[in-house]
Amino acid sequence: MSVLSCLSTAVSSSALQEVILDGLLHPVLVLNSDAEVIYGNASAAACFGPYLIGSDLNALFPACPDAIACLHARRTTFEVISETAGRFSVFASVSSDGDSILSLIPVVSDVRSIVETDELTGLIKRNGLRGFLEQAFAPKGGEGGLVAVHFLDLDRFKVVNDTLGHTIGDQLLKKVAERLLSVCRKQDCVARLGGDEFVIVQSGVTDLADAERLAARLVDLVGRTYVLSGHAVNIGVSVGIAMAERNQAPRDLLRNGDLALYEAKRAGRGRFRVFEPGMYAALRLRRELEVDLRRALALRQFDLHYQPFLDLETNRIIGYEALIRWEHPTRGCVSPADFIPLAEETGLINKIGEWVMRTACATAMSWSEDMTVAVNVSPIQFKADGLVQTVLSALAFSGLSPHRLEIEITEGAFLEDTPNVLKTLHALRDLGVKISMDDFGTGYSSLSYLQKFPFDKIKIDQSFIQASAGGDGEAILKAIASLGLSLGMAITAEGVETAEQLARIRGENCTHVQGYYTGRPQPADRISTTIETEAAGD
Amino acid sequence: MSEPLYQLVYYSRNKVSGQDDALEAQVDSILEASRRNNQAVGLTGALMFNSGCFAQVLEGPLDAIEATFERIQRDERHGDVSLLALDPIATRAFPNWAMGFVGHSTKNAKRFEQVGVRSGFDPQRLGAQKVHAILRDLTLDEEGLAERV
Ligand SMILES: Cc1cc2nc3c(=O)[nH]c(=O)nc-3n(C[C@H](O)[C@H](O)[C@H](O)COP(=O)(O)O)c2cc1C
Repeated sequence: MSVLSCLSTAVSSSALQEVILDGLLHPVLVLNSDAEVIYGNASAAACFGPYLIGSDLNALFPACPDAIACLHARRTTFEVISETAGRFSVFASVSSDGDSILSLIPVVSDVRSIVETDELTGLIKRNGLRGFLEQAFAPKGGEGGLVAVHFLDLDRFKVVNDTLGHTIGDQLLKKVAERLLSVCRKQDCVARLGGDEFVIVQSGVTDLADAERLAARLVDLVGRTYVLSGHAVNIGVSVGIAMAERNQAPRDLLRNGDLALYEAKRAGRGRFRVFEPGMYAALRLRRELEVDLRRALALRQFDLHYQPFLDLETNRIIGYEALIRWEHPTRGCVSPADFIPLAEETGLINKIGEWVMRTACATAMSWSEDMTVAVNVSPIQFKADGLVQTVLSALAFSGLSPHRLEIEITEGAFLEDTPNVLKTLHALRDLGVKISMDDFGTGYSSLSYLQKFPFDKIKIDQSFIQASAGGDGEAILKAIASLGLSLGMAITAEGVETAEQLARIRGENCTHVQGYYTGRPQPADRISTTIETEAAGD
Repeated sequence: MSEPLYQLVYYSRNKVSGQDDALEAQVDSILEASRRNNQAVGLTGALMFNSGCFAQVLEGPLDAIEATFERIQRDERHGDVSLLALDPIATRAFPNWAMGFVGHSTKNAKRFEQVGVRSGFDPQRLGAQKVHAILRDLTLDEEGLAERV
């Protein structure tokens, strides 16, 4: 250990020498004249494994057969590459008794050239990303700033692949990769995790705003139109950001980024979200709810209540809207506002919706012949193929005549793939089923939907009915009602809670009314179809 | 030159805000890059601009159009790019490359007069096809929006 004893002229104890060497952030190796390792500091052990003593230079750097020659030629600087630890600049010196002392300084920007790359895009792959993250995390004596990890998932990539084919899909991925590289700096790492998932490791970040700026730029840039072999192609990207913390394992960082990405998608895609610790708790609660929701059907925890709607001309109940209830043994009554979005997200809504349809139709058979039953259908059910079949079989099974069934949809159904939605609506209409537009006025460019399909009925959202007299809400109510009249559609005013509101909507062109004032939702066995409510009979 | 010809039409929002000098510098640099690049790959067309937006017609071989449009898409000086048309054409509507100011702002019209003259910009040609006429109207609308804020 002659080298170390040389050092000891400067520092007194060998323990201190060890501390200093092990405190260095780069690998230090001491080799004997046969180029075998006789000492490695802690960083060397971390890079090349704990058993490096005794290995020779060739074994450590099999890709660099010249390294030993460099050593023997007394070269003071040269480069080596390790498959596991990356590329290093070597600074070599020789001790008085012929041992070589090597300082290995990692060449960070070159990680890209030595790790496995994705054939299609030339980006590094998942395992290369690991290596990069580990390096990015190695504390870098003061300099460097923060590290942000961006998780990217393309929106609608599958549609492009399915409609235009894999060749265009591949071209698109290449262009996306190019665009990502064009906004990153040299020291950043862009990886493709497979499919349409990408990760960007942004280093030298000063603060969160810095990372958010890049994410916003990514969302803008990737979302711009592509022209590929004469096709105009539009996709979007969702981004989850996680800021690296000191001493954090890369695995945890990747998980955080993934979770933030999930939140970005949940918030509607084409946007970014920054990881927050609260997301874990929220996710766990949602997962628990999901577990319960998956069992709820089998355990018969759902029930339907029925709320009457009245014809304003005759003041008679002409039908009931079926409203789902979930009575959970420990949670109690879970509000549809809490579980329907989750059911939609998980696709469970299809099974639940089917049960609602069957149950509502069967129940309606026990009412008098002229009563209609209104059933809500989620936009997700429109996307799945089986909706028409579900309705057909519910009608057949119950024996309900189609004209007694009214399907309520929201504007959300039109957001995607409108032609298919219209096809489904027409198919339902052809069965003889009535179609109404629910929650009208709360959504998007509502009026254009009225033009696209001849709805039987428009249900005006309760916010307009409950708005104060003489305000904007009333003006809108008036406008929608007269619009409905001119289009030949019935108009239901929803959420009527007071006599005053009822009187007011009578003055407008509304044809039907539904709300607490004219009748609360009731369980199936408690509704009576023969009794008119007092409120309506004024 | 037996390669099939295509025409691409888009318009976009100008992101270089406010300062007249910034607009001028931007116009100069786009003009310079386009001169340098377009002829080499057989592209012709017209680029209209004002303080609110750009509108461009690119004509030439599909490969050249795609590569150039991709570069233009990545340009941060504009955003909200709407692709209005991408179609095969029999002959070029714009046999040269030209760039000109289209707008009501007399100050800018004066300022950018030379750009138009130098590059042979001919507003008359813009009436030739429906999409060009639409483009011109859009451009004028956008200028109005930008000047008001
Ligand atoms: C509205 C707009 C139109 C442009 N049109 C062209 C064009 O027709 N041809 C072109 O080469 N660059 C055009 N550019 C510039 C490109 O975005 C890009 O900056 C340039 O092609 C880079 O060229 P260079 O790499 O040769 O410098 C345009 C930019 C903008 C904002």
